[in-house]
Order: sequence, then structure tokens, then C-alpha cells
Amino acid sequence: MSIETPELAYHERWERIKARFGSWGLTTYGILAFAFLYLPIVILILFSFNESRSVSKWTGFSLRWYGEMLKDDKIMISMWNSIFLAVVSTAIATVLGTLAALGLERYSFRGKTAVDSMFYLPVIIPDIAMAIMLLLFFNMSGIGFTPWKVSLFGVKLAVPYSVIIGHVAFNISFVAIVVRARLAQMDRTLEEAAQDLYANTWQTFRRVTLPMLMPGILGGALLAFTLSLDDFVITFFTSGAGFNTLPVRVFGMIKKGVTPKINALSTLMLAVSLSLVVISILLRTRSGDEESVQMGF
Amino acid sequence: MERLRRNPELQAWLLLAIPAAFLLIFFMAPLVIVFVYSFLERGKYGGVEWVFTLENIRRVFDPLYFKTFVRSFYIAIVTTLITLILGYPLAYYIANSPPSRRNALVFALMIPFWTNFLIRTYAWLTLLRTHTGLINVTLLNWGLIQKPLPLFGNDFAIILGLVYGWLPVMVLPIYAALERLDRSLLEAARDLYASSFYAFRRVTWPLSIPGVVAGSMLVFIPSLGAFVTPAILGGGKSLMIGNIISNQFLGAHDWPFGSALSMVMMIAMLIATLIYFRWTTSSEIAT
Amino acid sequence: MSEPFAVELRDVVKQFGDVVAVNHVSLRIRDGEFFSLLGPSGCGKTTTLRMIAGFEIPTHGEIYIHGERQGYRPPNKRPVNTVFQNYALFPHMTVAENIAFGMEMRKIPKDEIKRRVDEALAMVRLSGMANRRPKQLSGGQQQRVALARALVNRPEVLLLDEPLGALDLKLRKAMQIELKALQEEVGITFIYVTHDQEEALTMSDRIAVMNDGIVHQVGDPETIYEHPADRFVADFIGETNFIPVRVVSLAPEIVVELGTGQKVQAGWAEEGLAPGDKAVLSIRPEKMDLLEPKKKPQSPSQEMAYVPGVVTHLVYVGTDTRHTVRLGDGSEVVVRLQNIYVGEEPWEIGEQAVITWNAAHARILKE
Repeated sequence: MSIETPELAYHERWERIKARFGSWGLTTYGILAFAFLYLPIVILILFSFNESRSVSKWTGFSLRWYGEMLKDDKIMISMWNSIFLAVVSTAIATVLGTLAALGLERYSFRGKTAVDSMFYLPVIIPDIAMAIMLLLFFNMSGIGFTPWKVSLFGVKLAVPYSVIIGHVAFNISFVAIVVRARLAQMDRTLEEAAQDLYANTWQTFRRVTLPMLMPGILGGALLAFTLSLDDFVITFFTSGAGFNTLPVRVFGMIKKGVTPKINALSTLMLAVSLSLVVISILLRTRSGDEESVQMGF
Repeated sequence: MERLRRNPELQAWLLLAIPAAFLLIFFMAPLVIVFVYSFLERGKYGGVEWVFTLENIRRVFDPLYFKTFVRSFYIAIVTTLITLILGYPLAYYIANSPPSRRNALVFALMIPFWTNFLIRTYAWLTLLRTHTGLINVTLLNWGLIQKPLPLFGNDFAIILGLVYGWLPVMVLPIYAALERLDRSLLEAARDLYASSFYAFRRVTWPLSIPGVVAGSMLVFIPSLGAFVTPAILGGGKSLMIGNIISNQFLGAHDWPFGSALSMVMMIAMLIATLIYFRWTTSSEIAT
Repeated sequence: MSEPFAVELRDVVKQFGDVVAVNHVSLRIRDGEFFSLLGPSGCGKTTTLRMIAGFEIPTHGEIYIHGERQGYRPPNKRPVNTVFQNYALFPHMTVAENIAFGMEMRKIPKDEIKRRVDEALAMVRLSGMANRRPKQLSGGQQQRVALARALVNRPEVLLLDEPLGALDLKLRKAMQIELKALQEEVGITFIYVTHDQEEALTMSDRIAVMNDGIVHQVGDPETIYEHPADRFVADFIGETNFIPVRVVSLAPEIVVELGTGQKVQAGWAEEGLAPGDKAVLSIRPEKMDLLEPKKKPQSPSQEMAYVPGVVTHLVYVGTDTRHTVRLGDGSEVVVRLQNIYVGEEPWEIGEQAVITWNAAHARILKE
């Protein structure tokens, strides 16, 4: 019907190329970026199954290094230490962080800005600074380096209080931030509705606020648990001598020399991290919470 | 009980009392101790002498240490820039994917982030090492190079390790900002005769600046205070402030000097953050 | 002493910082009444409702429910229930659990709760929905759950905060009728907050018109519409002409002078006006008629006004046509004429016309 001028056709073609190439280029970039993120991890896992001591020359498949890892008592103790430390510090930090989130999100009072900043600071401050702060504090105050002796499934552990306190100190803030985000999204009229329907303050909290907050609390706890499992720097500096968590153990092993045993141990730790991520996905899809996905927690 | 109900301030303090006390004792007090120690003399066998001195602060600016300070800043800035350049298009890509794929991509981004930092650094160690690293070994085997490339024990290795470690942290806030962006704003810009480039420059970019700022800070601060990455990928030769600080406590037993170093590091971070915020907020208005 | 009112507000003030949200409001709401608080957003109507519910405590003044002073009593101890604007249904509970919540809190026996939940569901025609989650319901259904959740507690007073605001027009109209019927059926006092004048007029027994925290007028819908007490009420409810005038005399007859110098009578004048004051003559567009100049009677009666002008604008709106007429002094008057005349020539722009009205419909209000 219409008469296409050559100029228009050219222009149209150029627009089409631009549109196609634009999205194609972006997708290619996306794939490359994810390859960059995953390739080192994949290679790390691959060489945990290597037959020889090398982590750069593939000589054949073997589970030898996993066997060696399981036979290493020091690694096993470190693993239990890590788990015990993560569970205890997460439990404490979750309770304290949730209390703090309620206090900070729901009320305004004199000096709130100062208290607010205090709760954000542990997140911002580099872990090396926090580690030496705590080291000096425990040295000076004389409390802390004494271990908490427990027996877990027949394994005797001695976890210094200083490390537990250190982990709680940085985890409180993370929990508080996640729970606050959830609280901020929560519709306050739901609580008013509960009160209107004859619920007192405690009943309102128990029946409405807490269930609504639960995904946030669990998300915060999961984050705290992961951070605690992953922490190296603060544990390293606040533990005194002789106490190892898995990351501290790995660091010591790297310093001595690279073997596929480290790869095997790393793979194990990766598997744990991965299952934690999966749990968090399940939690989130069940609560149908789109917002917190963006928060990245 | 009735008084408590009518006094919200009391309720707030009741909730905050224990967590705030915990942080006051185990976070604020240690912070003060570091500050105080910076001005004390070193004890003979570790520890401190309670004598006031400015010697520690002066020593921080001694070229021997100050050089490391400047290098750490340089490494942190370059790391931040590279993660921004790599991270922005990645965030843009995720934000522009179909919604069904978007969450999956965000989780794909989260998995490396939730993975132990030490392990991720170790993964690069096995790739980069000069004679036994996978990259050099492979390239030599294929005959592509005659001599191993200098991939390890230098700033390159540290920056690569930091970029790898902190890239997800840069992408997430930018993605959040881009995802929130109302698509009709872009359509409005195109409708008002903006080319796609111009629509990006005048609409997308300015509206994503809060994400860029947040991401940059989240990368810059831990990069400047990095300890693990230079300790592993620096090969004992290339060091950053974090390593020098740790040496004062683990090796040299010079607590006051270690304290002074970390005080100066934290103050420098604070100043850099303030300047950056000032700069970005003013440029946000300018565009 | 007569029977106490369902709700009584005595000189209630609510301040938020420097902002006065509610300014010396006194109201008496009768038992079994459908009472509306009507006003533009930010007029203090929701704050008034929230003070009755107990979510806000008055800065000054007292609230009584059936003669009982409420003071600092918390919401859970007041004999009222609220239907919230966004319904505030608990998303983690089913419909039945939502409705049972209030009774559970009041420790009502389990079997009675169950019976009453079923009754309430039947009342709002949602019997099959007991085990659904609020998210799985449509807007209208959620609205009915919110209503059931409040009414099942048999409150002395039901407070409704713009409950139909989120619904589309058609559903809103249907729910208006349903709500009114429900109120008549249960006989509970309803206090209804809305900014929609039509909604208030069609549903209420009495209306309080509010603006800037002040109650301007309380009355039944007809009084509010036909006899607005001041300029705000006249302007906010329906469409009104305000013709600038000067008061000539207030007794024995109310006489005002138009901008053109013509004197006309009016049926009512606001208190506080004196001869010589500037004022406005307020008259509804449908209370007037247009005549051809030659049809004006030779000896007009005193209570009829005849004001000449020129037709400047015509807007056809279906049931009637809005005629804008410019008077000699330049002021404009809108006259609505129903489109019921057969064979008559319609008015044309530029035509000379005489506006006529009965003085009883004209009200003199302060500017």
C-alpha cells in the first residue's frame, strides 16, 4: 500500500539490527559474567576428585581426598566447632536482633539516631578492624578466652566465649536489618485490627506480629548462620591459640601447601552453603515474599 | 502495666535494653579501646604502657607504612571501578530478563556470594599460581606461552580476587534500583524523542545512582580493609593495610601501632565515604 | 436524664505535633443510627473514627460510648469494632480464623465460636469460603469478610473507615445497598467515614460534614443538601451557584442586592450577617428555570426572582443540560434544565434569557 522510500527501509533495517544486537550482546555478556562467577568454583570442585596431589593437572578420578579429609581428626573437630559456634551465636543473635528491630522500627525516642548508627556500624566496619578491636577488648578485660567445654555426639569441644561473643556482635546487626526490612513492609493496620478484635498487646504480638514477621526472622537467622559458618577473620583473631573452625583450618592448610584435600573440604563447605541457599529459597517462595529477594538476603 | 502502655519510649527501651547493652559492651567499648590504645606507648612484652604519645600516629604517615596505605586505596578504588563496570551491565541484564527468569538469575548470583570467601579466594590461588597454577600450566602445555605469566603475588592477583569476591555485592543493589524503575518512565522518555542511549543517560542512569552508590560502598569498604585476599593471593609480597595491622598483633606485638593503623584506616574510610556521597548526590542533581 | 447516646464526643481535640487534626468536635450519635462523617481527605474524619476506636487518644475532651467515659481505654477493651479501609485481613489466617479471632480473644467457648462463624459467613453470603485465605478472595469478598469479622462480635457500635473505597463503581453501588440493608437488619449503630457525598447521602440517617478538623453541619441528608449551613457545606455537597450579593435587610424579609443593583429576596440567611455586608447567594442549579424575556410576568410575585442574562455555554449531560448564563455584572450562573420538553426550541448561545427561582431556595451565606 505505502511506497517505501529507500532511506526509510535502510533506517528500519538499522533499527532492527540495533534492537537485535542490543539484546543479543547483553545476553552474551550475562552468560560470560556468570561463567566468570562459576568457573573457578567448578574447577575447584573438579580437582577435589583428582587422583594425584596436583590441583592443576588432571590425572584421574578418585575419592581419595575425601577419605583423607574424613580421617583427619583436626578437620572433624573444626567442623563440629564451626557448627556449634554457628548454632549458638545464631540463636543469641536472632533473639537480640529481633528485639532490636522491633525497638528501632516501631518507636521514635530521644537519641534514636545514635542507637540506629550503633546497630549499623558492625555491618559497615571492615572485619579486620572489628577483629582487632575485640582482640584488644578480650585481652584487656580478662574475660572471654576461657573456653566453653561441651561434648557433642561424643566429640569434646572447647569453644572460647570470646569467639561466640564476637560472632553475636556482628550478627545482631545483620539480623536486625533483615527483620526491620520485613517489619517496615508490614501493614500496621493488621495490628490495629487485632487490637480492635479484643487482643491485648501480648496477644497481638503472638498472634499477628510474630507470624507475619517469621519469614524475616528465619531469613535473618539463616544469614547469621551462614555468616558465622563463613567467618574467618574475627574467629582467627579472637580465639586465642589452638581453636579452629573450618575456615581457620582451611587457612592454616593453605599456608602449608595446596592439596586436593583442601578442595575436598571446600566442596563439602560449598555443599553446606548451597543447601542453606536452597532452604532460603524455599522459605521465601513459601512466604511469597518478593521484596526480600531483592534485598539479597 | 498501664503506664507502660501509655509510654512508648519506655517500651522501646525495654526492647532495646539487652541488644543495645550487648553492643555497647562488646562493640562500642572495644572501639573506644582501640582509640585509646592509639595514643599509648608500646609495652615491652606486648601490651601497652599507659603513657600518652603521638608517636604511633606519626609512624602511620612514615613513608614505609604510608606507601602501603596509598597502595591499598589504589587497589580498593580500582576494584570498585572494575566491579562497577562489570556489575552494572550484569544488573541491567538481570533486570531486563523476563520476570520468570529474573529470580533464578538473582539466586544464581547469590550462590557464589553465600559461598565462603576464603574458599573462593583459594579457588583463584589454584588457578593463578605462577608455576603450578592451572592457567599457566595449561597455557605452557598448549605452547601458547614460553614463560609463565606473572599472574600471582602482585596487585593484579589481589584486584582479581577482590573483584571476584565482591561482584555480587555490587550487582544486587544496582539490580534492585533498576528493577524498581518504572518502565513507563523509559517509554515516556522515548515518546518525548529521546534515543535509547539518551533515555538511558537521562532516565535509567540517574535513577539507578542510589544502587550504584550503595554497591560502591559495599565493595570499597571491605576492599580497603581486605585481609584474606592479599594474605592468600599476594603471595607474601604484595600486602595491604589489613595485613600490616594483623602483623602488629600476631607478629610484632605492637598493639598501639596496630590500633593507630586501624584508627587511621577507619577514619580514612569515613572521609572517603562522605566525599563519595557528597560527590554522587551533587552529580545526581547536575544530570 | 434521657437514654445515653451510642457515642458522644464532648469538645474533642486531637493534635499531632503542631497540626490540629480535630478541632473542638462535639457529636451525639443515637442508638441504631447510620451516621456518616463526610469530608475531603485530611478533614479529620478518620482521626475522629480512630479516637472512638481507641487507636488515638484525644488531646483534649472526652468520648463516651453508651454513657461510659472511654479515657485511655485501649482498643481491645472498647465495645466497638472497625472495618478498615484496606480491610486489614490477617493474611496468615483463613477466612474462618479471621472471623473467629475476636471471639477467641474474648474466650468464647469453641462450639459457640464455630456456630457464630458459620452464621456470620451465611450473613455475608460466603459460606463456602471458610477455609480460603484472604488473598484468594476478590475485593468485594474481602470486604464482606472484614464486615463479618467485625459484626460477629456484636459490637455496640461498628466503625467503618471508607470501607468501599477500594472497590470499583458498580460493586460499590451494590455494596452500598447491601450495607444499608445489613445495618437495618442487625440494628447496630454504624459510624461511617467517607469522602463520597453521594454515598453519604444515600446511606446515612444523619451526616456530619467536616473540614479542617471542624464539624460544619450535622443533619439528615435532605437537610444537608437543601439547607446547607454555610458556604463549605453548600460547595462540598452537590453543585451550587454562588452569586456575589450585598445584604440590604434581614427583617422582616431577607433582601439582597445583586451586582447589577437588582434586589431579590431569599429564604434564609446565615447567622452573623448584617445589612451592608458582602455575602453570597447560594442556589442549586436545578432549582432555577429559564424564561424568554417576553414571557416574564408583568406583575411578578414577591417570592419569585427574575434575573436577566445571556446564555454563554451549553453542556448536554444526558438527563439534563447545563446552561451557563452571564448576568449583567459579569457573574455566571449555571442552570440545569431537565431534557423533558417536547417540541420546545432549545436555548442557543448568545440568546437573552431570564433566570427565575423561588426565593425559598435561595440562601444567603457568608463569603
